[in-house]
Amino acid sequence: MISIQTDDVDIGGLIQAAKKQGTGAVVVFDGIVRDDDITEMELEAYEDVATQELEKIAKDATEQFRLLHVDIIHRIGRLAVGENILIIIVAAGHRKEAYAGSRFIIEAIKAGVPIWKKELTKDGGRWVPGDHRHGKPKTT
Amino acid sequence: MSVKIRFFARFRELLGSDIMTDVAAGTMFTPLITTVARKNPEGYIAIFDEKGDFREFVILMKNGKRIDIADAAKTPVTDGDEIAVFPPVAGG
Repeated sequence: MISIQTDDVDIGGLIQAAKKQGTGAVVVFDGIVRDDDITEMELEAYEDVATQELEKIAKDATEQFRLLHVDIIHRIGRLAVGENILIIIVAAGHRKEAYAGSRFIIEAIKAGVPIWKKELTKDGGRWVPGDHRHGKPKTT
Repeated sequence: MSVKIRFFARFRELLGSDIMTDVAAGTMFTPLITTVARKNPEGYIAIFDEKGDFREFVILMKNGKRIDIADAAKTPVTDGDEIAVFPPVAGG
């Protein structure tokens, strides 16, 4: 499942569904709204383009790390502290590929997928500064 | 001919989004965005520097594909194009 959506997901159900034949490891990344003295977080996406880019990232990760299953669910809208923002579920034959595939996916999302976060505070709000590398890979 | 301009995040707050605008044939990317951004001085300053060039962190897209800032002045827009202008992404 590749999705940008407002609703939360059943992570347990996704883990069960990820266990395809040959699976030896499932890695779950769950990014959540951190309590940085904020009241809520507002997320916005260029949805059509972001979904296409998530699909490409999943395809690239599957090929590069021989993954058996990939879910990427990125939530948008208003989220409270502690809520899930991004869920990545990766299944592979072995832990090495599963961990590497999961890491590849989260770094690719942070580098280039058009999604933005605004931290809402008692005094207003502030946009979370994004990466200025325009999707180019990190050099360090 | 008409094109749709979409701003996101802080740029959207300053300039709006899903802006349909009529343009003359042969209009290039940079002057189009310049004209639209000038409707709000704060929005213009957010996107363009004092020389009138796109700020180095601004990301441009035409029909879902990135346009290099260096190429924007010589990239024409055509009827039905969807143009997107946004700050660095911060998902995840």
